[in-house]
Amino acid sequence: MLKVVHYINQFFANIGGEEMAHVPAEVREGIVGPGLAFQQAFGEEAEIVATIVCGDSYFNENMDEAKKIIIEMVKKYNPDIFIAGPAFNAGRYGVACGTIAQAVKDELNIPVLTGMYIENPGADMFKNSLYIVSTKNSAAGMRDAVKKMAPLALKLAKGEKIGSSAEEGYMPNGTRVNFFEKERGSKRAVKMLLNKLKDKEFVTEFPMPDFDRVAPNPAVKDVTKAKIALVTSGGIVPKGNPDHIESSSASKYGKYDIEGVMDLTEETYQTAHGGYDPVYANEDPDRVLPVDVLREFEKEGKIGSLHRYFYTTVGNGTAVKNAKAFAEKFAKELVADGVDAVILTST
Amino acid sequence: MKLELGYVFIKDIQFAEVSKVENGTLYVNRDEVKALILEDQNFKSADVELARPGESIRIMPVKDVIEPRVKVEGPGGIFPGTINKVETVGSGKTNVLKGAAVVTTGKIVGFQEGIIDMTGPGAEYTPFSKLNNLVLVCEPVDGLKQHEHEKALRFAGYKVAVYLGELARALTPDEVHTYETPTLVEGIKLYPELPRVAYVCMLQSQGLMHDTYVYGVDAKQIVPTLIYPTEVMDGAIASGNCVSACDKNTTYHHLNNPVIYDLFDEHGKTLNFVGVIITNENVYLADKERSSNWSSKLAEYLGVDGVVVSEEGFGNPDTDLIMNCKKIEAKGIKTVLITDEYAGRDGTSQSLADADVKADAVVTGGNANMVIDLPAMDKVIGYPEVADIIAGGFDGSLHADGSITAELQVITGATNEMGFNKLSAR
Amino acid sequence: MIITNNELVYSKYKDDYDILFLDGTYRDVLVKTRDKVHEGYELLTHPLSSSIKPNETPYKSVIISDIKGNLNYNSVIIIENSIMTFDKFNLNKIKNINEKMKEDFKLIDLTVLKSALNI
Repeated sequence: MLKVVHYINQFFANIGGEEMAHVPAEVREGIVGPGLAFQQAFGEEAEIVATIVCGDSYFNENMDEAKKIIIEMVKKYNPDIFIAGPAFNAGRYGVACGTIAQAVKDELNIPVLTGMYIENPGADMFKNSLYIVSTKNSAAGMRDAVKKMAPLALKLAKGEKIGSSAEEGYMPNGTRVNFFEKERGSKRAVKMLLNKLKDKEFVTEFPMPDFDRVAPNPAVKDVTKAKIALVTSGGIVPKGNPDHIESSSASKYGKYDIEGVMDLTEETYQTAHGGYDPVYANEDPDRVLPVDVLREFEKEGKIGSLHRYFYTTVGNGTAVKNAKAFAEKFAKELVADGVDAVILTST
Repeated sequence: MKLELGYVFIKDIQFAEVSKVENGTLYVNRDEVKALILEDQNFKSADVELARPGESIRIMPVKDVIEPRVKVEGPGGIFPGTINKVETVGSGKTNVLKGAAVVTTGKIVGFQEGIIDMTGPGAEYTPFSKLNNLVLVCEPVDGLKQHEHEKALRFAGYKVAVYLGELARALTPDEVHTYETPTLVEGIKLYPELPRVAYVCMLQSQGLMHDTYVYGVDAKQIVPTLIYPTEVMDGAIASGNCVSACDKNTTYHHLNNPVIYDLFDEHGKTLNFVGVIITNENVYLADKERSSNWSSKLAEYLGVDGVVVSEEGFGNPDTDLIMNCKKIEAKGIKTVLITDEYAGRDGTSQSLADADVKADAVVTGGNANMVIDLPAMDKVIGYPEVADIIAGGFDGSLHADGSITAELQVITGATNEMGFNKLSAR
Repeated sequence: MIITNNELVYSKYKDDYDILFLDGTYRDVLVKTRDKVHEGYELLTHPLSSSIKPNETPYKSVIISDIKGNLNYNSVIIIENSIMTFDKFNLNKIKNINEKMKEDFKLIDLTVLKSALNI
């Protein structure tokens, strides 16, 4: 019988929600939580020998150590396949699943599989290097997820040839694989057109490469008279991170008043970003949000003025959809406030 | 325009004293066919072979595949402007020898394209492995120029197909399918509530071995225009295109254009199949601009709500495809495109030579770079030694035991961009 | 102006058109075309003319404008995409082709070019 090791987070292990996300990794014998559904799908073919439970915050904030510990745990069981999640739309869980699955694959050479919703930031990060099954966006989709993940997991464990993404249920990963559909191409085309004409959902068989081009605005006419605003995805926030902007997969942005602030210091500001070494940004947050330089320019007449508010979020594993939504919202405020140009800093 | 297509089902093909169709078997007088081919003095010799489904036979290099049809009633004859006079076709009654085909082979130029395996893994990828084929192997006279050779071979195929089609003239078809396209005005009255759909059919038009003919006119010379779907069923569009094997439209594909048949299936029910816009794929960029401007203008003029666009060929036609898509979408008309892919042997390269965000509804005929192993066949009709130099073949493609390792590209019709096959990719 | 590595094209059209003849590969022709496009010449034919794959034929002819102008973005995109497409195929080298085949490939390239010159 094939051996499976399953990885889940604190929520699916019934330990608790966000408030328990700090629990470190632990291993339990046999099945925990959603593992039961997998076990039922595996039948006699495979057995979940162990389940590793780890808090999402613990994983994301102690990534190297967490990876090391968990790899050791997995090694002990020597499984035929390692399954993480499914994470649905939980961003940090998705990133954790992808990260740990990748680590197990790279370091232990064991086949791995995970599952999550297409918009989960973990999907974009890992779909080209791991098989990620596309799931619904909430735990209500568990049955559907297991139905797709279990057979694919067995195939991977047995080393069988994996077919196209459409046949096997994983997210298209940039490798085109041929397969035979039930109907001929022209029929598929006519059906697709009928759906498109009725504004119904359809799935293209070949997604065009992602362009996402934004046409640049014309240059600012006179920058010495312009009101410039600072916006950053580098995570600079007032010391203490009063609005609790997450260190990754940020679900919010902050708007802060720097009226009268000429310089950001270690005592007054910090970074909340979990994706880069924070030491230098914490020592002098101007390095990421150059308030000091712009105040100088203001004094010297090189710019008209520095806008009193800056907008910030953490651009670490942030879902594109969220980033777009934030910007759409505060862009309106910037325009209403008469801002002429924005300096956007990242990391 | 209304056409009754009568299918006479052919289940077997045999050589015989007298050419005829009896009990589903197509009997062919070999000498008559040879004589027909040799009427063209550009050929010094000709041979005729049979290849049936399931037989261990490989045909290569394939140039064209043609289905035998005959005009039983109504104006004109099959292949107007080429074999028959230019009279407008597409109405009345036409009989078809369904299950039979004429296959032409020949080394016109150095690289050799087109393999049809009648059995084995290769047979899965070509629709022609399921047909009873009459294969023409014709030797040109020495020193014959390539374009004359190409023309001679092309006409030999049409002539033999027409000769066989004649055999069905007096027969009662096993099945009759009626196809009718109302005029624009009639159509609006009949189906006021249904979405109006047109089919934009792109034709390869770039030079020797890359041409298509419409009522005998070289498609390079046309500006996009309208044609009734049933005209195509009578051979109004004929292929002179030999490259590349996997995504060229053989004359058989034109006669059996699957987009036309599948749109007819929905006509009057879920959509109003208004008609067909044909356009070309010239190399000159200004021609591409002109043609795509024109086809989008025609789509708008016809007042359609959506179009299906099919492509032919590799590389620069992707640019035509995207131009057609963008310009038609810009008119507020929805598009679905059918294409194939060259995503590299590992499937990770960029599939098309051009792209646009507006092309959001695409059907694919598969990745033509996929490598396939074709086992040796007992018999090879044609010129087997050319396996190494066929498209998708490479040094060492042809193994000593007669098996071939090559890309899917080499198989005739494998990734057809009219959506003829079930092959796809994700 | 015609950019080509096809002697047949050169010999046929050298008196009628400005020809930039390269003693090089198909890719060399594409790269030279790209260089010219960057200088401001406009692409008049699509570099991936004909369905014969870049790893089958050694010959390629492209037509660009005779005069320079402002950078034509369409031309840039087309030539860059063409080079990317070419590189997709370069893993499979062109096999040893004999003289007769070379003549055939030259001819196809010529007729496709001819169709664009409208002769």
